[in-house]
Amino acid sequence: MDTKVLRLDLTLRRRSTVGYTVGMALYTLAVVALYPSFKNTTSLDSLAKSSAAALFGVEGPLTSPGGWLNGNIYGNLLPLIMLLLTIGYGAACLAGQDEDGTLALIATLPIGRRTIVLQKASAMLAQAVALALGVTVCVLVGPAFQLHVGIGPLIGVTVTSVFLGLTFGLITMAIGASGAGRGAALGVGATIAAASYLLSSLATSIHWLRPVRYISAFYWSVGNNQISHGVSVAEFAVMILATAGALLTAVISFRRADLN
Amino acid sequence: MSSAIETVGLSKHYGSRVAVDQLSLRIEAGQVFGFLGPNGAGKSTTIRMLLALQRPTRGSATVLGLDTTARSVELHRRVGYLPGDLALYPRLTGRQHIDWFREARGLADDPLIGELIERFQVVVDRQVHKLSKGNRQKIGIVLAFMHRPELLILDEPTSGLDPLVQREFGNLLRETVGEGRTVFLSSHELDEVQRVADEIAIIKDGRLVAQDSVERLRAASPRKLEVHFRRPVDPASLRACPGVKVTTVDGAYVALDVIGDIGPALKLIADDDPVDLSARPADLDELFLSYYQPGATPHSDTLRSGSDGH
Repeated sequence: MDTKVLRLDLTLRRRSTVGYTVGMALYTLAVVALYPSFKNTTSLDSLAKSSAAALFGVEGPLTSPGGWLNGNIYGNLLPLIMLLLTIGYGAACLAGQDEDGTLALIATLPIGRRTIVLQKASAMLAQAVALALGVTVCVLVGPAFQLHVGIGPLIGVTVTSVFLGLTFGLITMAIGASGAGRGAALGVGATIAAASYLLSSLATSIHWLRPVRYISAFYWSVGNNQISHGVSVAEFAVMILATAGALLTAVISFRRADLN
Repeated sequence: MSSAIETVGLSKHYGSRVAVDQLSLRIEAGQVFGFLGPNGAGKSTTIRMLLALQRPTRGSATVLGLDTTARSVELHRRVGYLPGDLALYPRLTGRQHIDWFREARGLADDPLIGELIERFQVVVDRQVHKLSKGNRQKIGIVLAFMHRPELLILDEPTSGLDPLVQREFGNLLRETVGEGRTVFLSSHELDEVQRVADEIAIIKDGRLVAQDSVERLRAASPRKLEVHFRRPVDPASLRACPGVKVTTVDGAYVALDVIGDIGPALKLIADDDPVDLSARPADLDELFLSYYQPGATPHSDTLRSGSDGH
């Protein structure tokens, strides 16, 4: 398999990938290590019932191991950092490199445009996996801090958080390839992701929003407290379809793109 | 002789703006072809369409016999490209660039790469952002030539290069066409093109306004004559002479441009008792300026135009 473009982009992004991964891992380790100090603070559970808590992706009792991880990592900060990574790369890898002038050198090599997009999507996947795995490894040391979560839900939410990042990163990539430019791709991609997040998080406390949350990729990946309940087959399927759809859109968009 | 590049009615519109309009070109293989035009004339847009970076709004282009929109991967395998504003990855070294592109093109460790590095004294061990524009351009030359492409498409290739390197680059182009390969050289600088090109096309406002060999263009270019007569003369007979344009008359001094055969003008001058005459050789600059200046009328109507010459 041809991996030249993938390796080049990972080389170019290695500093930011390492930075995001190490930073998020250290934060996770701190959250895990602080769990014994809060596990008996039941007043936190009443806090979790407020609308303000819903805004931050908190759902269910905060003092349970799953609730603690969801309220501090999987419901908010991990998706946020994941999207910073993937949306940032999605805007930079086609639209950004086209604006910089470096994409023309790649696009005039004997490499098809579909292959270029697939390799850049693979580079995005590699960055997202590194970030999610860094978090997972730190959560795995949880038992040393009285924090026990099922391995199945942990693996499941690790995978769906990667899919979440890919979906919005690839949507951003497709917008950039359509000629919108790096800034516009970044703005539109981030706006769609923010709307999706709000829809999923507010639906837990605003009754009329509940039916609409099904169009939010957040709900299907990390917004339904999957770290506690596990990821259902339907949730996996929806995230796979969303990612595949975004990838197909990016391929079609780039194949028709005018490059500089 | 086969054509390396052929376009038919090639056009590119960006909304209401027409960047390239009905461009029809046929470029024979085995030559340096100069593609001249002022900034914004449509040169780079044409190149992008030839390289399948952009799709034509109308018309078609074949490069090395390959349709640019249908067979771009095969085309890219056989073409070398040096962009006008060459952009490299700032944090990578020249060596990293060269190794990556060599691998991407599936090349073994070809001695040609080492020869090019040595010939142009390419700095390969420093990050690109620490290099001057000229040294970055040298890396671009290696990337464009490293796979011995059948066709080289070069957009302002000598930008930032010092005169010695420019001369060496000219030698490389001559060697390239000597091997039967083709060079498409785009530039807004006549000097750069006329040193090495066999044939030249001029594009202005997206339209091809002339295409011919350098020799024919030179023959069609004006020589500047300055004549001092013994007494003031009536220039009417000179004005009536074919190919002569009287530009200045100041008493016994007359300046004129002559295109083509100079004999008839010299006979008329001799009849009026000249005391001094100076002549400058045919100057392509004058011809090209006449195309470049907005609204200007070209000196010569003898050139093959893009619309009716092909």
